[in-house]
Amino acid sequence: MATFFRLGSRQVLNHFLRNEKVGMLSLVRPVTLKAQPACPPKEMGHDERNMKLGRPQSPHLTIYAPQLTSMLSISHRATGMILAGYTIMWGLGAVVLPDSISCYLEDLAAANVSSILLCGTKFMLAFPMTYHFWNGIRHLMWDMGLFLTLKEVYATGYVMLILALGSAIALVSM
Amino acid sequence: MALASILRNASRVQAGALPRFFFKPASVAVNRNFSSSLCPNYATFNKNSNLNLGLFVPHSKILIAPQARMMSGDHSRLWPIEKALSVSLLVLVPAAIASPHFILDNLLAVAAVAHFHWGLEAVVIDYARPIVVGNVLAKLALFLLYIISATTLGGLIYYNVNEDGIGQTIRQFWAIKGSGKEKTADSSGSEKK
Ligand code: HEM
Repeated sequence: MATFFRLGSRQVLNHFLRNEKVGMLSLVRPVTLKAQPACPPKEMGHDERNMKLGRPQSPHLTIYAPQLTSMLSISHRATGMILAGYTIMWGLGAVVLPDSISCYLEDLAAANVSSILLCGTKFMLAFPMTYHFWNGIRHLMWDMGLFLTLKEVYATGYVMLILALGSAIALVSM
Repeated sequence: MALASILRNASRVQAGALPRFFFKPASVAVNRNFSSSLCPNYATFNKNSNLNLGLFVPHSKILIAPQARMMSGDHSRLWPIEKALSVSLLVLVPAAIASPHFILDNLLAVAAVAHFHWGLEAVVIDYARPIVVGNVLAKLALFLLYIISATTLGGLIYYNVNEDGIGQTIRQFWAIKGSGKEKTADSSGSEKK
């Protein structure tokens, strides 16, 4: 095959190119190839593209089953935001409130409100903190490259939940 | 060609300069799929490096350097700081409550505000995207966050300086017992939290 081509190409090519009658060369036009930088693809962000294609938000929250992984993940964000809310209220309250905060706390102690209400309030303060604390450790572990298999993610998730609930209850009952 | 070698070196320097605290950034930067649609230097880049003309190798090291990010700036240097800050909170929160102290209170105030500022910044960037809420609102949300964070930090330090301090106040609140239990609230010092 290769020999055939090698032998053939010299003679056949010459024949076809130079022969006036078959005359391939007469058909040839001079063509200049000019190198140009490729056109940059049209800029379109991830969101823009998906909106244009009519795609729903990913994950499609109304049809996507809740899983431990996603639920713990979003609650870390939620507890972080709750804690930030408490902190912001405290910081602003310190400036805005007419009396010092400890005055209000003394009033509260004197008011002798029901312990259920107090325990509930303490739990609302403590649980976001304990959850965010223990799950924060989990996040930091991941950032170091630890416990990243799905099995470990689930195992640490359950351990974290127990620790968070347990320590919140312990704090409330102090 | 000159540009190509500069870029190649730049990416090497960048990779080498990745600050490693006690954290290894776990292969965040290296395996990025180069997205040409985000690259503003695309045209210049190709024109000047005649080596690569038309040959676009997605995983080449050279191509990582001119990557444009949606967020401003290079986050790889802030990242370990954020993580170190989280670790410091892990110590500061229990410490400031267990043994209230002026310095601990103020360290906690600074660390907590810095931490939640960056945290909420991530939240705002995730949800208040320009394509969803418009450019103005997206900018305004971030601007507002700066105001809120700064005011909160000021308020907390004011509180630590002029009033009881964070740790002591938490203890004072925790010492309040309700009407169900017949425990008096006078033993505020002996409570653990
Ligand atoms: C006690 C120790 C704490 C630890 C170990 C911790 C850890 C963390 C970590 C690792 C993240 C990043 C999560 C991620 O990678 O997506 C995070 C996010 C966040 N944290 Fe904390 N945190 C602590 C305390 C606090 C406090 C006291 C506040 C509020 C004042 C707070 C507010 C936030 C917020 C708002 C976020 C952002 C949530 C998000 O982007 O999803 N954290 N925290």
